[in-house]
Amino acid sequence: MNAQTRTGLLALALLAGAASLPAKAGEVTWWAPNWGEARARELVQKFQAANPGITVKIEVTVSNGLPERVLTAMRSGAGPDVIEVQHGWVNGYAQNDLVLPLDDTLQDKADYQKSALDYVTWNGKAWAVPYRIETHGIIYNKDHFKEAGLDPDKPIETWDGLVAAAKALTKSGRSGFGITGGGEVGNTIFRSLPFIWMAGGDILSADQKQVLINKPEAVKAVTFYTDFYKQGLAPKSTLENDGLSLRRLFVAGTVSAYQSGQFDLPAIAKENPKLSLGAMPIPHPEGKQTAAILGGWSYVIPKAAKNPAEAKKLIQFLSTAENQAFYTDTFPARISSLKAERFQDPMLKPFATMLPYGRPVPAHKNWVKMVQAYFDGIQRILLGEQTVQKSMDQVAEEITALL
Amino acid sequence: MRSNAGLVFALPALVVLFMLIAYPVVYTGWLSVTDDQGNLVGLKNFSAVLRPRVTTQALWNTLWWVAGSIVFQVLLGVATAILLNQNFPGRALVRSVALVPWIIPGIVAATTWAWMFHTEFGIINYMMTGVGILPEPIGWLTRGDTVLPAMIAINVWKLFPFVAIMVLAALQSIPNDLYEAARMDGANYWGEIRHVMLPQIRPVVTAVTLLLVIWGLNAITIIYAITRGGPANRTLITPIQIFRLAFEAVEFNQAAALSVLFFAVVMVVVFVYIRLLADRAGEGT
Repeated sequence: MNAQTRTGLLALALLAGAASLPAKAGEVTWWAPNWGEARARELVQKFQAANPGITVKIEVTVSNGLPERVLTAMRSGAGPDVIEVQHGWVNGYAQNDLVLPLDDTLQDKADYQKSALDYVTWNGKAWAVPYRIETHGIIYNKDHFKEAGLDPDKPIETWDGLVAAAKALTKSGRSGFGITGGGEVGNTIFRSLPFIWMAGGDILSADQKQVLINKPEAVKAVTFYTDFYKQGLAPKSTLENDGLSLRRLFVAGTVSAYQSGQFDLPAIAKENPKLSLGAMPIPHPEGKQTAAILGGWSYVIPKAAKNPAEAKKLIQFLSTAENQAFYTDTFPARISSLKAERFQDPMLKPFATMLPYGRPVPAHKNWVKMVQAYFDGIQRILLGEQTVQKSMDQVAEEITALL
Repeated sequence: MRSNAGLVFALPALVVLFMLIAYPVVYTGWLSVTDDQGNLVGLKNFSAVLRPRVTTQALWNTLWWVAGSIVFQVLLGVATAILLNQNFPGRALVRSVALVPWIIPGIVAATTWAWMFHTEFGIINYMMTGVGILPEPIGWLTRGDTVLPAMIAINVWKLFPFVAIMVLAALQSIPNDLYEAARMDGANYWGEIRHVMLPQIRPVVTAVTLLLVIWGLNAITIIYAITRGGPANRTLITPIQIFRLAFEAVEFNQAAALSVLFFAVVMVVVFVYIRLLADRAGEGT
């Protein structure tokens, strides 16, 4: 990056209010998201008590616009020392030389879920330390199941079973199975790409040379996904719904089942305590295995960090089995942390069984644009503008241009 | 050298202004012909942004958005101004209330309207199905044929008070003698509007329309907050496309190229408008 671009980006960072004041030696600035703020402060107190020479300054981030903010801070060299980012972003940072390799920081490597480590590895090195992992499951309304004559304690296994259940549940103004088709762009790929994987398809080939989104397997899965709306089994507002809207509709009792992560459970229980909640793994095609996108968060140290040594110390402290179990919103990345009391809740079991089936999304520098192209394609199908095959052909053409 | 003294005094301010305006413009131009390493690449960024179909679509959407908004903003604004110019009890209150949409911050208005238009929870569908105008809820924001008109409606609602206030000011500066003269010549109410009122407010309407064009071309808030340019790019306008390129896809150079192209188009539009209308308005008064 030349000096001019640097100046421009620095100005941008200043404008975005993302520039921190120059850090003092021994001061680590940590960008922590707002949902874990209280726990982060507690951990910092413990850390400072154990390391008197280091002070930690927490700057709270929010999920909206975070990728842009992190990137601007990293590129301008005005960022903090430790940032929490989603696993999927790490590869891009590594390939663009924006973060430090953290093999020397990662302890007890064998204790980590392999899928999480694979996610943040590039070129044989680990570029982040994962601490939180999660996949989606299906959250459903047990009372609606009973009313529709379905057994609320028997999880649905197959795609055909899911369609049949959705048909039985769709009545008196309710939608049996909610899908996303609007709002946050990333939500729709999170919910539909797993079906493509289960059917044996993918968006890109493993070597990232071929686009597979318009091949029969992927088309079959996209048809399966969009048909919930086409056949009237998903809400009329599907084109404006993302994960959050689906949760609202579920709480209001107008959607009987939808895909989401366990992070929705406490929110639902709070907004509608009377609702009888159930959860199950995501159904798969007959004779195939289920799949899900592995989501979650890691710690990275930007290349321009002022105090990398202290930052590494902080990450090691945050990554002990006990602290991971305490800090994560969903599941910890360390296997031994799963023993903690809070993960023994039976509601979490279906989500825990999904973890081994979690897969990373392809690490490609144009991934964000590909997700947008795919999302536009899904919307064209839902709008009734194009057939699934035609729409996916156009997506394939747009993605090919991005390779 | 007295003639230069004024220039010397104004120079510091001019330099600051020049830096604040010229530097970003020049820098954008420079970004548009380089890659992210700073190497000159000629017109590669321009061809990269012009290739996708979505660029053409966004330009058409922008034209519809601006034209549709302005026609209704001006018509509704002028009509409101004429109404508020009449003498009736409670006029002051009505004048203040009419200003509300313009005062509300764009993001607040957008979020409120998004919920009002929502298929399941929206009050618009609730009222229309309630009194039997609609047999079942309509997805205002999810149907290809209603989403852009819905956005235009919100934009009209937001800015017609501005037109109304400007035109009202012009109306109040029209001398009463003119109306009296017209009445002496046997003009009825409509005659007064046609031959006295409209010619007198034309310069104001011209200037306001130009402002509306510029604002319309730069309006991101309403659309971005409600649809982000969706569904399937039906409401994607060029400024939002630029924003997405820069901050979602992190292609600053391509975003700069698109900005340069857009800037050129806007300059042409504004130039033509000023040549055609502003001159005529000058002659008309």
